[in-house]
Amino acid sequence: MLGFYLHIPFCDKKCTYCDFYSIESTGLIDRFVDTLLTEIALLPCDERPLTSIFFGGGTPSLLQPEQIRQILDHIHQKYELDSGCEITMESNPGTVTQASLEGYRAAGVNRLSVGVQSFVAEELSFLTRIHSATDAQVAINHARSAGFDNINLDLMFALPGQTLESLTVSLNHALDLQTDHISAYSLIFEPGTPLHAQLLKGAVAPQAEEYDAEMYALVMERLAHGGYEQYEVSNYARVSSRNLQCVHNLTYWHGHDYLAAGPSAHALHRGMRSWNHRSLTAWTEKITAGHLGHANTEVLTPEQRRTELAFTTLRADGLPVDRFQAEFGVDVRVALQPHLGYWISDGLVEDRGTVLRLTRKGYQLCDPITLTVLDSL
Amino acid sequence: MKHFRNFSIIAHIDHGKSTLADRLLERTGRVTQREMVYNQILDDNPLEQERGITIKLHAIQMDYKAQDGEVYKLNLIDTPGHVDFSYEVSRSLSACEGALLVVDATQGVEAQTISNLFMAIDQGLEIIPVINKIDLPAAQTTVETVKQQVIDLLGCKEEDLILASAKAGIGIDEILEAVVERVPPPTGDPTKPLRALIYDSIFDPYRGVVVNVRVFDGVLKERDKIRFWNTNQAYEVDEVGILYMKRERTKVLEAGNVGYFTAAIKALTDTKVGDTVTLASNPCESPIDGFKEVKPMVFSGIYPAESDDFEDLREALGKLTLNDAAISYEAETSSALGFGFRCGFLGLLHMEIVQERLEREFNQTIVTTVPNVRYKVITNKGETLWVDNPSQLPDPTHIADIQEPYIRAQIIAPTEYVGTIMKLCIERRGQMLGQSYLSADRVDLTFDLPLGEVVFDFYDKLKSTTRGYASLDYELGDYKSGELVRMDILLNGEPVDALSSIVHRQKAHEWGKKLCKKLRELIPRQMFEVAIQAAIGSKIVARESISAMRKNVIAKCYGGDISRKRKLLEKQKEGKKRMKQVGRVEVPQEAFLAVLSLDD
Repeated sequence: MLGFYLHIPFCDKKCTYCDFYSIESTGLIDRFVDTLLTEIALLPCDERPLTSIFFGGGTPSLLQPEQIRQILDHIHQKYELDSGCEITMESNPGTVTQASLEGYRAAGVNRLSVGVQSFVAEELSFLTRIHSATDAQVAINHARSAGFDNINLDLMFALPGQTLESLTVSLNHALDLQTDHISAYSLIFEPGTPLHAQLLKGAVAPQAEEYDAEMYALVMERLAHGGYEQYEVSNYARVSSRNLQCVHNLTYWHGHDYLAAGPSAHALHRGMRSWNHRSLTAWTEKITAGHLGHANTEVLTPEQRRTELAFTTLRADGLPVDRFQAEFGVDVRVALQPHLGYWISDGLVEDRGTVLRLTRKGYQLCDPITLTVLDSL
Repeated sequence: MKHFRNFSIIAHIDHGKSTLADRLLERTGRVTQREMVYNQILDDNPLEQERGITIKLHAIQMDYKAQDGEVYKLNLIDTPGHVDFSYEVSRSLSACEGALLVVDATQGVEAQTISNLFMAIDQGLEIIPVINKIDLPAAQTTVETVKQQVIDLLGCKEEDLILASAKAGIGIDEILEAVVERVPPPTGDPTKPLRALIYDSIFDPYRGVVVNVRVFDGVLKERDKIRFWNTNQAYEVDEVGILYMKRERTKVLEAGNVGYFTAAIKALTDTKVGDTVTLASNPCESPIDGFKEVKPMVFSGIYPAESDDFEDLREALGKLTLNDAAISYEAETSSALGFGFRCGFLGLLHMEIVQERLEREFNQTIVTTVPNVRYKVITNKGETLWVDNPSQLPDPTHIADIQEPYIRAQIIAPTEYVGTIMKLCIERRGQMLGQSYLSADRVDLTFDLPLGEVVFDFYDKLKSTTRGYASLDYELGDYKSGELVRMDILLNGEPVDALSSIVHRQKAHEWGKKLCKKLRELIPRQMFEVAIQAAIGSKIVARESISAMRKNVIAKCYGGDISRKRKLLEKQKEGKKRMKQVGRVEVPQEAFLAVLSLDD
């Protein structure tokens, strides 16, 4: 498995809750694409075929289809692509048309992620999104007509002012659309965002934990009932004869390598993690001078790798028992006693033989369980 | 001998003892003004300077040319400034013939000053009253009252008082002259067999124990074969000298003088404060009166924060006892805290000092349990047990009688606080024995109080309810029977031994309620509900519960989040190490001291 993440750091308008690196100076896009092509040329070679490419942002759908094609061509010149290579692009329903979607599909993108977030007007306005509920539905229909047969829909919950009723409205809309994948995130008040500043001022309040938990339970239950299988804290794939789980994200969670390009993008390659400058200017300067865009790197110790693998697999489709034995010589079932016994009897964890997997109740308490796991390993 | 003067200074914290001592040293040329600026010479331990108290004794010899033209050798013997160390105070006073009573012109006489003063008067010391800080503007309105207080207290005349300001250098010469004129020179017979008092000893890693002594009779010389009267240990003296700013070898120390000696002594336990030093071959007829074995009064469990550090902690305690012989410790096991030590201290301040020294000087991260006293338990079979760990109190059905130590407390405060103080003391099962007025607006109250009630937050409570104006001193009294019961704390049905306490039956309900409430605040929510119960035997007297955590998960973890999330988890994992596991419940270390911060 080898992934490739490209960060497209532009938005028409930044959302108040978002802490990904992004700027509103869309006039810089053309120059950015040139720099990105240069960066791809500078990246280390790898003989393994790419199994996934992911255009994240920002708003990658602000790039012209031709620009996406150019980038993919450059990648293809340097790396082999696996025959089933998953190529995902994030999009904002307010920025796509039937024509542009056809263009992205023709350029090679085969999975589209649509940032819907909610189907309730007040909630979209709270999130400072530029699209409407109808825009979202239209975008998804256009994507289908454009030939996308692997579409993800992003939702958010635990928004201030949201109720179980309004969340049900959004869930019903999402289920009606029967997209291939749904990501449903509980709102995070990320430090440094305008939303966090509002929180500090007391202008907004987070949902009470109890209600947040009820919403999360509702999401998990409705999506399961609607034919989606949860395989991570916030991710659900439609049950189908095809595997509709996101290959790229599983690459992260299963501890496999991923290359990266674009400001603020993180890579993990041959035991070293690197992350690019979180500034278009700084990143551009480095690349133009013929260097990689790294702000910093770290070489992971075996213990750090073990820690990362434990918490990323645990929050996804389960702690792989045999892999821990083989790679780290740890019998997790033994190491986790007496906690594992309690968790199983409390219905937080299931022992599925090959993996120890969180139940729906377990996903609710993923972080404290993770901490105890790390403390025990 | 007629040119020696041995004296100490009696003063309340902050009344200017250290500044005055510094000033005397400066005036007699022992230190220069430059050295003086940032140091209070006698309090040379950082902990002492921070807290403004003297923990270890110090002594220093000064040469003073008096107005009569003669040069006198003045030995200033410092006294520790806290009630925990009153025995040491009595021993250093008995090495002197006189004492300066230093009273702050704006504050007046305090409890601790009075008890030390009475100790000095009992031992026949000449008292020189000094009213200090007279240069402060506030002193103009208070100095007359304070003067009258001192006159009433000592039964002296107004002309006996010296008005001074150590800070401004006022009255320093008068004080030095008064020491020469009023303090009698030491008496004693240099031709008699050696008879010297140990008033302090310190451990030096290179030379062994350095013993500080006052020689009463005879002469102490290098190569003498000496014997300690009470410990009955014999040694050959290596080095003898006097205490200037540093130790200065003189080879001999004659009757009347104060100094030190070394004799390759490896343990402080051989050189007990108050013991008599004499010659092995030609001993004196009788020891110096007043020797006492110092016994720990307050006990607490000290555990390593991480159980792997048990051996390190043992080593640190071992090193600490080399220069603080008053600490006792023995290994114990707690089901909640693992392997640790039950330590005994002279008092609460002593306990705090030991804990701080372990953390600062020996780099130990420790968990301490709530302090308690030592109980005397008479079983139905008539056996006597001493219990210094509440969890070891036998089953009530086997107990015929439990006795607890009492103290006699003296509290001095402005009269407006009498009501508050009485209320506090009565709540703590105190009994008032008397009250007397030091002046129209200051009262001296005497109470009998169970020490067990004082080791909790009594002193802090006294200070906070009297806005810091009350001062406390106490002496130990007898053991008295009490209706005492052991209260256990259970978390999800499992008893937590380190949280057990011994309380009075009538206060048990209230106590249990408060403790459960406090623990509910201190124990974080877990993935399951936690029941906190207080129980006497099998009877539950109070309960609280901590509801289960419902949702705790960060929604996103993608390629760019992993490194940050790992670092956060690593940090949280470190924090988790400081939690103690009681059954399934994780208990933060602060919880083990919860009792100390119960609100009324």
